[in-house]
Amino acid sequence: MDSMMFGKYIPVNSFVHRLDPRLKIGALILLLVTVFFDAGFVGYAILSIFVLIMSYMAKMKVSQILSAMKPMLFMMAFLMIFNLLFIQNGTIIFSLGFIHIYDKAVIQTLYIFIRLLLIIIMTSILTATTKPLDLTLGIEYLLAPFKKFGFPTHEVAMIISIALRFIPTLLEETQRIMKAQASRGVDYSEGTMSQKIMSIVSLIIPLFISAFQRAEDLANAMESRNYNPEAPRTRYKQLHWQFADSISLAATLVVSGSVIVLSFIL
Amino acid sequence: MSITFKQVEHTYSQDTPFSYHALKGVDLTIETGHMTALIGHTGSGKSTLIQHINGLLLPTAGEVDIEDIIITATDKPKSLKPLRKKAGLVFQFPEYQLFEETILKDIIFGPKNFGMDEEKTLEVAKETIKLVGLDESYLEKSPFDLSGGQKRRVAIAGILAMDPDILVLDEPTAGLDPQGAKEMMELFKQINNQGKTVILVSHDMNQVLQYCDDVVVMNKGKVERHVKVDELFKETEYLTSLSIDLPIITSFILELNKNGFNIDPSIKDINELIEVLGGELHG
Repeated sequence: MDSMMFGKYIPVNSFVHRLDPRLKIGALILLLVTVFFDAGFVGYAILSIFVLIMSYMAKMKVSQILSAMKPMLFMMAFLMIFNLLFIQNGTIIFSLGFIHIYDKAVIQTLYIFIRLLLIIIMTSILTATTKPLDLTLGIEYLLAPFKKFGFPTHEVAMIISIALRFIPTLLEETQRIMKAQASRGVDYSEGTMSQKIMSIVSLIIPLFISAFQRAEDLANAMESRNYNPEAPRTRYKQLHWQFADSISLAATLVVSGSVIVLSFIL
Repeated sequence: MSITFKQVEHTYSQDTPFSYHALKGVDLTIETGHMTALIGHTGSGKSTLIQHINGLLLPTAGEVDIEDIIITATDKPKSLKPLRKKAGLVFQFPEYQLFEETILKDIIFGPKNFGMDEEKTLEVAKETIKLVGLDESYLEKSPFDLSGGQKRRVAIAGILAMDPDILVLDEPTAGLDPQGAKEMMELFKQINNQGKTVILVSHDMNQVLQYCDDVVVMNKGKVERHVKVDELFKETEYLTSLSIDLPIITSFILELNKNGFNIDPSIKDINELIEVLGGELHG
């Protein structure tokens, strides 16, 4: 499961870990929007430096960031090749048979590469520094204003937190079943196509059965405790906005503000 | 021929903040043909240890030698299949591994993976289903229509059908009714009597006393004892320190001896105890 670093919470104590989840979610959304404003390489330099400082303050290791990017490599390569080949603007800088590569295409591709890189790193900083439950709590707080319009805030937050809660459980279950089937001679890495399909079937069916079983158990447990999503409830865990949060918010606003302004000037 | 662990270490998720040192230098030799119990607290490394026996986990240091298939941290055999065939592992609650439409297909899934031919598998399925106490009519049923206890039997049959030389069982009777548990244990003993090596993880000391020859005690990732079963139950203080209960019969004898009787505490069988007790009372 070492390849599953993307989206995993990493339990260390850092400045970013202690920040309010509402701030972290809000800042992420703001920065994600900012990434798509075209402020040239200067803009990306500013954002990259900011992201680097953030990852340093979150005590992220380079290896963790790299492993977070692993699952995205294929998509990145795919996007880059397509862009290189299909954008036909500016002057040709390289030709091979019917393939022409233009200078604008190179720049555009580089932009896309940097954008993806920034998005992945920023998102993994959020998930690596925020416990899933805090994340849901933050989402619920941020969604609270929409309650007035009849939006089922609590239900949505509950669904998200249940989904997040069961990700590790299902991963564990998957490993358990894989091991049990491997003991029965299933080889997940080798074999012919039909053998491979059979080995996936031998994993998926038990996994589905146990997932449905768990869902039913959970539903029964909630119902037997008379769970009512509309009931007014208090929370054990309260979010407190600290001075550090205000400073971080200000820093984020300054960075993304200046990049957006730059994009209009350039 | 034996199962040998030499200074085996295992660390989960090495070099990450989640790393966990589960085995801390295990030295252990389990002789072929013995029925060995593996006991210890949750988290003592039992499950990690048994998964080394069929190569599901590979040692992060040290050497594992399963009847001449040798695995070290840096060097493992090209294919683990021969090892998986040799050592059948029944996990805790094995019923979740069932997935086929019929019980027959599920039982022969393992043998087929190891290359047994179709005709032979049918024969094997018929034999093993009877072995686990169900009759042939079950073979055409869906495994999902069975009760929990029957599912367990079918899952165990799926491993037995592979005819492994070494049978490793992780709490095979957890959650079974007493009668069902007794039948299962007798089956494992019978398999052991056919010359197979049986390794049994158990929390039930009555089972350990009644069915096993040797016992291995694990604590905090190390093997602390590897002795004959009756030797272990003499060490009452050590067992108390691990909060492991004595078998009912042994603690009953010790209680009697405290009150003036003089009975051999290694008696395993209730009828033998009754006889001895009768002799003491009348004699």
